[in-house]
Amino acid sequence: MKAILMDATRCTGCERCVAACIEANDLDPVQAQVDRAVTKDGLSENRFLSVPKVEEGRFVRLSCMHCLEPSCVSACLVGGITKTQDGPVVYDPDKCIGCRYCMLACPFHIPRYEWSSPVPFMRKCDMCAGRQNDGQVPACVEACPYEALSFGDRDALLRDAHALIGSGEGRYLDRVWGEHEFGGTCVLYVSDVDLGVLGWPAPGTESIPSLTEPLIAKTPVIGLGVMGSLLGINWVIRRRMKLARDGNGPHDGDGRASETDEIGP
Amino acid sequence: MSDRTRGLKDVLWALALAGLVAAVFRLRFGLGATTNLTDRVPWGLWKILNMVAGVAISTSGFTVGFLVYVLRLERFRPLMKPAILVAFLGYGCSCTALLFDIGLPWRFWHPFVMWNGHSFLFEVFWCVILYFTVTAIELAPTIFQKLKAEKAAAILHPVAFGVVVVGISLSSLHHSSLGSLFLVTPERLHPLWYTPLLPLLFILSAMGAGIMFVVLVRILHAHWYDREAVFGPSRVEHELLIVRSKERNGAERRPVAAGPDMPMLTSLASIGTGILGVYLLLQLFNLIASGSWQALLEGTWESWLYTGEVLIVAVLPILLVWLPATRGSPTALGIAAFSASAGLVLNRLDAGIFGYFQDAGEVYFPSLIEWAVSVGVVAAAALVFLFFAETMPIFRTPVVEAGRTRKFGASFDSLSRVWYAALRGGMERATLVAVLVIPPAWALMYPPFHTEEPPDVTPAFRVTRDSLRIDGNGGGVETIFPHADHQERLGGDTSCVHCHHMSLPGDETTPCSRCHRHMVDSTLIFDHARHTVAVAKKEELAGLFPENHTCTVCHTKGETEAASTAKHCLECHKENTDWTTEYDESDTLAWAVSYMEAMHKNCMECHKKEAEGANRPELPDCSICHRSLAPRIADKRTVLVGTRRSRSRIP
Repeated sequence: MKAILMDATRCTGCERCVAACIEANDLDPVQAQVDRAVTKDGLSENRFLSVPKVEEGRFVRLSCMHCLEPSCVSACLVGGITKTQDGPVVYDPDKCIGCRYCMLACPFHIPRYEWSSPVPFMRKCDMCAGRQNDGQVPACVEACPYEALSFGDRDALLRDAHALIGSGEGRYLDRVWGEHEFGGTCVLYVSDVDLGVLGWPAPGTESIPSLTEPLIAKTPVIGLGVMGSLLGINWVIRRRMKLARDGNGPHDGDGRASETDEIGP
Repeated sequence: MSDRTRGLKDVLWALALAGLVAAVFRLRFGLGATTNLTDRVPWGLWKILNMVAGVAISTSGFTVGFLVYVLRLERFRPLMKPAILVAFLGYGCSCTALLFDIGLPWRFWHPFVMWNGHSFLFEVFWCVILYFTVTAIELAPTIFQKLKAEKAAAILHPVAFGVVVVGISLSSLHHSSLGSLFLVTPERLHPLWYTPLLPLLFILSAMGAGIMFVVLVRILHAHWYDREAVFGPSRVEHELLIVRSKERNGAERRPVAAGPDMPMLTSLASIGTGILGVYLLLQLFNLIASGSWQALLEGTWESWLYTGEVLIVAVLPILLVWLPATRGSPTALGIAAFSASAGLVLNRLDAGIFGYFQDAGEVYFPSLIEWAVSVGVVAAAALVFLFFAETMPIFRTPVVEAGRTRKFGASFDSLSRVWYAALRGGMERATLVAVLVIPPAWALMYPPFHTEEPPDVTPAFRVTRDSLRIDGNGGGVETIFPHADHQERLGGDTSCVHCHHMSLPGDETTPCSRCHRHMVDSTLIFDHARHTVAVAKKEELAGLFPENHTCTVCHTKGETEAASTAKHCLECHKENTDWTTEYDESDTLAWAVSYMEAMHKNCMECHKKEAEGANRPELPDCSICHRSLAPRIADKRTVLVGTRRSRSRIP
């Protein structure tokens, strides 16, 4: 599984990755520039990637985290979002019906919607899945003049990240963002400042599908169970009514049976 | 016959038509132009009010069905058909509103063929569609009866129980799943509403308040059509009854001021409030168990909302139904039923919209079009309800007088004079056509309302004032800097680099002292020759001999070669510095652009040009100026951002 590792200490916020992303995804650069100014985090349907300032002099790359157990994939009712073997979480516009549940489900607030279009679709980073298929690295990684981004096998990158933290002589915080949070992501960060502003939860937060999928797996059982118990209850009640009618049943104050007899269909 | 509802129907028709027009607008211009939804608040009024709350309040079909068919509580049988009708219309409302809510309505069928079994929304979709079908089947016998198609009704009779059982199973699934929809937002939903118990809380509140809603519907129906059935005899008749009962019995036994249906409704409301009681206990348990009671004590907007919601959905109805003082009163029961229904809707709005404000960092208020569609769909459903109530054997007391035989189409006039008139008269028909056609046509011609004005993206570098205020070292002392004058003297538009280039990477402003500090420094900006000429000219004008005095105007006599002996710039250029004036933000001066902006816009152009010319492709790279892992600027400084008039001090 491929992943992107970001060393936040190396980023200067030059946004060359954004420019490369816009070019690679054939987005409107002028509109992207406008969106940069008007959005809070710089992401829009024309800007899949942004480099927000975490604090003075510290910038990070923000886009889809490509979770290992993506909430959006689990949420999409038509299965329009899938997690591929190589890592990218990709979106199939041909399936989408526009319910926007993925946007609600994403803990990082990443998916954007083409609100202004009468035929709108969800837009987000797909980790350059097409380029990856052609054997290229994602455009943002390629564009970084600073080598703040690196692309490769996730396990190898995790080893690199820990090695970097170990060799950094305390420069980095001892945490690889994305290693375990929400079940792990394919975009990893090492940093010298806290990255909570990106939406990262407390370390070790479990994945969102692990909250819902065990529950939904029980659905058929619950449905059949309810149906069975309904039939059971009804059978008991009918029998009691029949016994009461025949005169050899319980003649106690079973108001229910006697009352039913009086009204009767 | 229907005079009582005439005004109501007029209003409902107006709302429904407004909704229709709004719906056309929405389809024509898309969601962004017609709704206030954003990327941060992707679910709004249509999903939460019409789908989540609308489905929840239509639980009556399955709860009453459970009581009547499974538990064989025949005393609730008269409410079976109203309950099914409410469920059918409620689900119809939800589906209709959802059609406008989803971005690509013509793909509504996708979930039928494209499955994702991991999605609660998928489960909700299937259950809602199936249950909608179930309610339609349950309602069908009534319509067949009306259409005198007894054979068709007879076909459905044997399967009725099975259909009800299937319906109950589907309902118990999707009513809880509507709560599970929000389980995916543990980090986003406010802790007062987010709990793993959401599915259980949702189905309990829906069952309880759904029962209360069918009670409300029955009471409203009675209010419009058969007052005596619920409210009992009118005041005059009531007094008469008292007199008569006194005559007859000689006792002070007052007949109850309620109609024959009240015992049944009270009994049903007892069940409903009982379920709401369980819901209340579960809410309290959840508050304590999850520790979210702390959030309740914070006194935030959310905590008040939560308190109000719980009070009106459960506490007030329970009190009204169970307290002896109000038990048995039709009005109190009506208030209780309304309170529970409103509380249920509020709960769904809280869990679906209000609970997300804190996380979204913005407040969502539905646009006029969202309101119009939302309310219009409900108004249309209410009209259909009234139509059914008047023409079909839904309630125990038939509204259409017996013996008055009218055709199906013609009987529609009791629903709407507009419709009836349009069917009959030429002029009226034209009016209806106009009402139906002109607004959509107009909507089609109209430009989108929220035409997104491209925001004024201020170019990073633009000299908007001739003079700038500069506080280079962030010391709070500003000087007036004649920027245009500097530009002109240094060579026009291309001269920026003379100053801005001098700053070191990492600086965000260029203090004057960076240039104006040392005469013999190699980074000389101070034009010594120019100063000599200028000073000499001044001396000459003053009638002195410049050659004797020029150097000593600035330098100490005898040590004129040393830069260190020179006067401070400000000793002569005091007129440029206003040490005392407190500047008004609205004055004519602008703050100087920051180094970063000046640099990026001006320098980068040259760097790019040079990169090609000198074949040095790395020239425009960020790393040319920005050093990797450069130590961060530790000292406090004032950053002047663009031409913005406010300054932010970085701690």
